[in-house]
Amino acid sequence: MGPATHTQMQKPCADIGHNGEVTSSSLTQTSSAPLIQRPNVVAVGTIVWLGSEVMFFAGLFAIYFTLRSTSGPLWESESSVLNVPFSLVNTLILVASSFTCQAGVFAAERLQARATGWKPTQWGTTEWFFLTYLLGAIFVSGQIFEYATLVSEGISMSSSAYGSAFYLTTGFHGLHVTGGLIAFLLVIGRIFAVKNMGHREATSAIVVSYYWHFVDVVWIGLFLVIYVLK
Amino acid sequence: MRANKNLFWILAVFCLLLSAVYIFWHILDQGNVEWVGALGIGLAGVLSAFLAFYLGRVFSAQGGDLPEDRLDSDIDDGDPEMGFYSPWSWWPVILAGSASLMLLGFAVGTWITFIGVALVLVAIVGWVYEYYRGYFAR
Repeated sequence: MGPATHTQMQKPCADIGHNGEVTSSSLTQTSSAPLIQRPNVVAVGTIVWLGSEVMFFAGLFAIYFTLRSTSGPLWESESSVLNVPFSLVNTLILVASSFTCQAGVFAAERLQARATGWKPTQWGTTEWFFLTYLLGAIFVSGQIFEYATLVSEGISMSSSAYGSAFYLTTGFHGLHVTGGLIAFLLVIGRIFAVKNMGHREATSAIVVSYYWHFVDVVWIGLFLVIYVLK
Repeated sequence: MRANKNLFWILAVFCLLLSAVYIFWHILDQGNVEWVGALGIGLAGVLSAFLAFYLGRVFSAQGGDLPEDRLDSDIDDGDPEMGFYSPWSWWPVILAGSASLMLLGFAVGTWITFIGVALVLVAIVGWVYEYYRGYFAR
């Protein structure tokens, strides 16, 4: 074997003709493809969807501000009923839940599902997410309590433009928080479903945290507009 | 990715400037702020800035251009593991059907909504855990 075989094999080709002088790959090609960290498609998709959620809440804010500008005296009388200290405490609970959620994400990035000790620094994703669930559930319960109090004081969805705007904005936000709570349970269930927590479970945990932080930021906006600005 | 990021930053600046112009012009013409347009355009700017910021973070984390963004790359350079994609699934169909039943209940009769909510829960759990049970249990 060697050059002899090589020329023998080339002979028939020379008769037919070939395009050996043409190369199919580009000439500017680098010697090896650079190593790059491809973006996680689930994370990018979640962020794009959250962008559309920005516009959903833009519509709700537009409703609120338009009704406020057309019926100012109504806003003065109705918004004085709001219990601002109560709502401030509820807001702080929701903001705290974002921090516990992020601690759960840090655990997910270590691929640590469960606690290795009682100290919070040793907690896994499930422990942090259960705590986040608890804080979020307290927030929703507090909001339901607030709604019940307001209805007893005569502010309902159909009582006035103020009632409609108040319940639409805070209500849709509350539904988002409730959806987030269900998402936390589903992610915890996924972590429980596998023997070893892997990158797929970590991705689920991370995208749910994106959603949770988004909903938290929207609430800070709503709180400033409805309770502080009035 | 760099081009995508820059396009979203341009959009963000454009929308935020336009929102300011809109507010100012309406005050000049009518004497008050028109909130629907002001918030609609302004938050479209926030949407663009949000995506631009995230794409910027992704771009700086990936340490180079993706093969699809390079003129000198070949098709097979962009051939890594792209992620997990379900080949097919009945669960989205079931979720869509039960969600429409739930919303139909609001319009026709509330009792249908209760059935719809139960089916939605079954469909969501079924979809989320489709690749976590049976042959796929790990």
